[in-house]
Amino acid sequence: MRKAHRALPLLLAVLFASGIITMSGCSSGPDEEEMTQLNNLKEEYAALQKEQAALSQEKGALEKQLAEKEAMLKKCNDDQAVVRQRIGQ
Amino acid sequence: MKCKSVLYTILALVFVVGSVSAQEEEMSAEEWQAEMNRYTQMRDETSATVNATKAQNDSLKAQSMAMDENIKKCQDELYALVGSNATEAAAYRAEIGEAEARADGLMRLSDADLMARSAEVDALEADVKTLEGNKLSVIPEFHDRLAALNEKIASMRNSLGGSAKVYTVGTWSRDRDCLWNISKKKDIYDNAWMWPKIWQGNRDQIKDPDVIHTGQKLKIPAAGPMTSEEKSAANSYYSRKGGN
Repeated sequence: MRKAHRALPLLLAVLFASGIITMSGCSSGPDEEEMTQLNNLKEEYAALQKEQAALSQEKGALEKQLAEKEAMLKKCNDDQAVVRQRIGQ
Repeated sequence: MKCKSVLYTILALVFVVGSVSAQEEEMSAEEWQAEMNRYTQMRDETSATVNATKAQNDSLKAQSMAMDENIKKCQDELYALVGSNATEAAAYRAEIGEAEARADGLMRLSDADLMARSAEVDALEADVKTLEGNKLSVIPEFHDRLAALNEKIASMRNSLGGSAKVYTVGTWSRDRDCLWNISKKKDIYDNAWMWPKIWQGNRDQIKDPDVIHTGQKLKIPAAGPMTSEEKSAANSYYSRKGGN
C-alpha cells in the first residue's frame, strides 16, 4: 500500500507529460500551411457564392426589363394598326 | 499527504480531459483532405454557374439593346404614318402634359373656386380642342389622353352647372330687371351683351327673352365666351327684331 502511494506521483507525472505532448501538436493532423489552404478555398467559395447571388439578381432585373420592352414593342405595333385604321376612315 | 494525492489526481484529470478534447477539435489529415475535396468541388460548380449566368446576362443585354432599336424603329414608323416625327411627338406630348396639369389643378378646386375661375376651364377646353386638331391626335397614346382630358372638362362643366348662381327676378318698377339689365350687373356678367347666355341657360322657363316674370329664379351659367348655340340664338333674336 505504501509502495502504491509512492508510485502515484510518478504515474501522475507521466500522465501530465503525455497531456502536454498531445496538446502541443505532436499529432498527425494538417499543418498550418494546409489549414491556410483550406481556409483560402472556403473564402474563394464564399466570394463566388456572393458573386452568383448578385448575378442572379441582375439577371432577374434584365429579364423584367426585356419583358417590358417586348410589351412596348407589341403596343407600338398595335398602335400602328389602330392609326392605319383611323387614317383609312 | 492525503491532500497532496488528491491535488495530483485533479491535476492529472484536468490534463487528460484537456488532451482528449484537443484531439477532438483538431482535424485529422483524412478529414482535411475530405474538406479540401468538398470545397474544391463546390467552388468549381459555383464558378461554372457564375460563368454561365454571366453569359446569360450578356445575352439578355444584347437582346435588350436590339429591342430598343426595334422600338425606336416602330415608333418612327408610327409617327411617319401621320406625317410627323419623334421631335414633334415629344413637343406634343409635353403640351398635353401641360394641359393635364392645368386640368388637375382645376379639378382640385372647390365648386365656388372653380366658378370664380371658370374662364380657365373655357381656355382649357379651347386648348384641348386645338390639340385635338393636331395630326398626332390619332395616335392612341395621345388620343386616350385627350379623351381623359375631355372627361375632366365635362366633369368640371357639371360642377359649374351644379353650383351655378341663381338670380331671382325683381320688379320692373323697382329693379328694372330684364335679361339685358341682369346681364349688365357687376355680380352677373358685367356685360349686357351676354344676356343670351341667361336666356339659353333657362330655355325651360324663358320662351320669349323679352318676357320674364317677377320672382322667377334664373340660373346664371358660368361666365365666358358665348357658345355657338348662344350666338345663334342671339342672332335669330336680333334678326327677328330687325324684321319687325
